[in-house]
Amino acid sequence: MVLRSCLDDRPGPVVADTSVIINLNATGCAETILRALPNRCIVVEDVSRELRIGLETGRTDADALVVLIEQQLVDHTRLGDIGMSHFATLVSGSATETLDDGEAATIACAIERSAVALVDERKALRICADRFPNVAVGCTLDVLAHRHVRTALGRSLVDAIFNALDRGRMRVPDRYGQWVVDLIGKERAAGCRSLPKRFRANGPPSRR
Amino acid sequence: MALNSLDAVDVGSRLRGAREAAGLTQTDAAADLRVARTTLVAMEQGRRRVRTEELQHLARLYGTSVNAVLRREAVHVDLVPRFRKLWTANDRAAERAARILTDLVRAEVELENLLGVTRTRNYPPARPLLPGDVRLQAENDATDLRQWLGLGLAPVRDVMSLLELDLGVRLYVRPLDSQVSGLFAYDDGVGACVLLNASHPPARQAQTAVHELGHLTSRRQTPDVCHSGRQDDSREERYANAFGRAFLTPARTVTVRFEDVTAGASRFTRRHIILLAHAFGVSREAMVRRLEEIRLVKRGTWDWFIANGGITDEQAREVLGEPNTVDPQNTDTRPSVSFRLGLLAAEAHRRELLSEGQLARLLRLDRVSLRKILDAADVDESDTDGPPKLPR
Repeated sequence: MVLRSCLDDRPGPVVADTSVIINLNATGCAETILRALPNRCIVVEDVSRELRIGLETGRTDADALVVLIEQQLVDHTRLGDIGMSHFATLVSGSATETLDDGEAATIACAIERSAVALVDERKALRICADRFPNVAVGCTLDVLAHRHVRTALGRSLVDAIFNALDRGRMRVPDRYGQWVVDLIGKERAAGCRSLPKRFRANGPPSRR
Repeated sequence: MALNSLDAVDVGSRLRGAREAAGLTQTDAAADLRVARTTLVAMEQGRRRVRTEELQHLARLYGTSVNAVLRREAVHVDLVPRFRKLWTANDRAAERAARILTDLVRAEVELENLLGVTRTRNYPPARPLLPGDVRLQAENDATDLRQWLGLGLAPVRDVMSLLELDLGVRLYVRPLDSQVSGLFAYDDGVGACVLLNASHPPARQAQTAVHELGHLTSRRQTPDVCHSGRQDDSREERYANAFGRAFLTPARTVTVRFEDVTAGASRFTRRHIILLAHAFGVSREAMVRRLEEIRLVKRGTWDWFIANGGITDEQAREVLGEPNTVDPQNTDTRPSVSFRLGLLAAEAHRRELLSEGQLARLLRLDRVSLRKILDAADVDESDTDGPPKLPR
């Protein structure tokens, strides 16, 4: 199945949410992926702060992000005045119409930098589409499906995606479901609980 | 900066609540923010508008997020003050546990409010402590509660579900400092709340849970911190300890089982202990201590076994077979949120009431742990051939 990432024709910067960093780390080859990705990857400090919460429960994503920043594969940034004003509107108000700080800061930064917001969260996507329809959005799988990333990973792409599903519980939008199953195979897909059920329904029972 | 129509007084009041929940003084917060204390006071009173950068700074200092402070539905319950008289100045472990309990209660109540559900309470009738032997009263009260719950004298296989689903207690299991086994608090608004130490083995968690059930039965308005290995000889504690033992291992049932298991034997062996502990879902030590208490074996029996090599999981494997080999004393398989809280979180996420980031913050979980909980609830909006809808 031929599939195009929404980033294939967008060479500008991307702003990655907490979820995307966790998924990329879970692939086991975040460094290769980010080296191959032509887009500059930005992470807002609210995201790195959220990742540090995971240190208490043994998650090492915050440390892994520090390494990626040191390798200059990720730009660590703070919101400017414009981003801060959007951030304020995204975090205050009713629960259904607000986001937590990392998600809000990611969208606010994307607006400020005219970048693509990389967000896996359905509610964040909905709020972003409603309130900022001109903001381009993508997800972790748009990074993994980028043609340069696919070329760089070669056959390792299969394991990278399986690891993201298995270790990171990566969320899979419908448009990527069949592509993922075709790549990793029905048998392995059946054990991936974060895949939408209809994409894993035909495999053998999960051992997880 | 536009804070979506929140007025300065409201923002200030929320900030004060967050600071107090974090256990910080105005002087501490002002120093960290590098403003005068009077400026912080003005912010908290709504006389000085707070900039978004300052909100971010203070939220970070208070161990929360700007959204968690400013979200309209955020619940402001604080159980910490009622525990204060129980701990000494250096009891940071108990204070930390009380803050975790408060955060989790807030999370559950906010989820309930968002979903429009209420917690059904089915607390046991109160049994105030009476003059006389509290251990005897505890045995009787535990027996009565078992009858009230329809348990009879059978072993209880899942104390956690019983507390949460049958009685309506708010129950949480999280890693705590090792010296704290659990906490109990009762608030008229939110009801009975229990926090157990996830780092302790399941059998010990169950023992702590029924200890706190003893407090709910006898003196529910008085909070409790159950310290590990600390001797508290108050009547309340002696009652709660005895209540817990009697509830999990009723004397009559233990006696009958003991007779069955040791029939024809001339010595009390490791095999007997393994079988009895397995039958009641308690640790081997708790089982033997209970047998000592009701005088089915001599005092000092457990100490004798310990002095003579103890009882190993390998020996249990030989007695029980592969699936049941591990002493519940030695494993931790509890999920990080209760069944009910997990389902509430999954439903709020499915309806897009709260995002993954909001839920993770609310439940004090990292993202991957939260995703496992959401996946376990089998939430799948795109599931077109899903289960039938409830008639609501």
